[in-house]
Amino acid sequence: MDFPFKRILSTENETKFVADFFSKTLGGCDTVLLTGDLGTGKTFFVRSVCSNWGIENVSSPSFAIVNEYHNGKKIFHFDFYRIKKVEELFDIGFEDYLSRAEAVTFIEWADLFEEVLPKNNFHVHFDFIDNFTREITITKNE
Amino acid sequence: MNILGIESSCDETSVAIISEGKLLSNLISSQDIHKVFGGVVPELSSRAHLQMLLPLVKKSLNETGILPNQIDLVCATAGPGLIGALLVGLTFAKAFAYSIGKPFVPVNHIEGHIFSGFLMEEKPEFPYLCLVVSGGHTLLLLVEGDTEIKKLGSTIDDAAGEAFDKVSKMLGLGYPGGQKIQETAMNQRSDFVDFPIAQCKNEFDFSFSGLKTAVLRFIQKEYGDPAKIPIKDAALIAASFQKAAIEALIKKTEKAILKYKISSLSLVGGVAANELLRNEFKKLSIKYKKKLVIPSLQFCGDNAAMIAYRGSKLNEANIKYNLDFNAFPSMNDYSFIK
Repeated sequence: MDFPFKRILSTENETKFVADFFSKTLGGCDTVLLTGDLGTGKTFFVRSVCSNWGIENVSSPSFAIVNEYHNGKKIFHFDFYRIKKVEELFDIGFEDYLSRAEAVTFIEWADLFEEVLPKNNFHVHFDFIDNFTREITITKNE
Repeated sequence: MNILGIESSCDETSVAIISEGKLLSNLISSQDIHKVFGGVVPELSSRAHLQMLLPLVKKSLNETGILPNQIDLVCATAGPGLIGALLVGLTFAKAFAYSIGKPFVPVNHIEGHIFSGFLMEEKPEFPYLCLVVSGGHTLLLLVEGDTEIKKLGSTIDDAAGEAFDKVSKMLGLGYPGGQKIQETAMNQRSDFVDFPIAQCKNEFDFSFSGLKTAVLRFIQKEYGDPAKIPIKDAALIAASFQKAAIEALIKKTEKAILKYKISSLSLVGGVAANELLRNEFKKLSIKYKKKLVIPSLQFCGDNAAMIAYRGSKLNEANIKYNLDFNAFPSMNDYSFIK
């Protein structure tokens, strides 16, 4: 996959296809930031990426703040949606999660607390086009 | 037998004492802590759990007149949840058990909810169908015994409670979403908008992300800016959303009633506080002649009474746990749900 990557997605299968492709470029300890309005498909994208690694129990971490999955590979799935202050992130040990070298970390609503994000990351952004269509943009930041 | 229960998996800190099968105390930080601290609203943090736990334990012991060394069993939520938050309650429970030389039992938070109907006078009868609906979880289960729980379905994206919270925020109704939507939707017609009910591959799975998105699109299309929704329309949208969300839950539950042989029906978790959902469950129980158990409101949200009860059953089943039992983040790490 070459970055920046941009595509119009009209079906769930097209999103899955991009997620498959993207999952192959991810290393063992990458951080993936996900941004885009409510209902643009952030959780579905994480679900599709993880499905390639045999992980099928992905759901929204909005309430839990972080879900963990493992199946050989370890995944941290964050959601900043419900966080009100950056101190709350420090308190739940956000930095400790990031320093765990063996895990892939996904962060939904990452733009709410840009100051805590690692500089090296993949950024997956969704734009709403219409009820059935989204535009996905994936950039690699180093 | 005196059982101490401790819960600290998410936002609430809670402490309970069950004595000779009777619940004597069930303290919940958001409701009871102001009496200790004078109106501190807890933030999401493990430090908040740390501040509240000891005062709650002391208060619970005081109001029951039970001394620390008269506790026979110490139970605490070990997961799933935020590790930092869980560790506060779990570590306290282990240290307490060790100091009085009594057994310690780690409890799966969801299993606490599943058996919360047993805290009521009228208890569920095995096998029963259990719908767990909360901010973080939506699960449909066939409960055949204390250690035989079969998962029929769960949400593939957002939990039911999460959908209520997010839609409430969109409509400018605030938090907690479940309560605000219910109040706003009261006595409103629910056919203002025909919101979709998701179809899933597994017939008992749930999906609420599409419904949430449909509400957002409707608002954007009709009003542009959510701030411009007339109050009467917000109420009608809330009622239409609530109807669709509850219909999804009821449809899957009814399907499972028809497929599995059950004696009772139980509705548990924070969203079980919703009046419309409770009523729809009553209708199902009458239609199919099943015993219905819905815990009273104090046992719907996160509470330690259900943790103490669940721990006591695991202890009766003679399952032994060591003090090196660790907190776990996900549902699948330690559970009797298969």
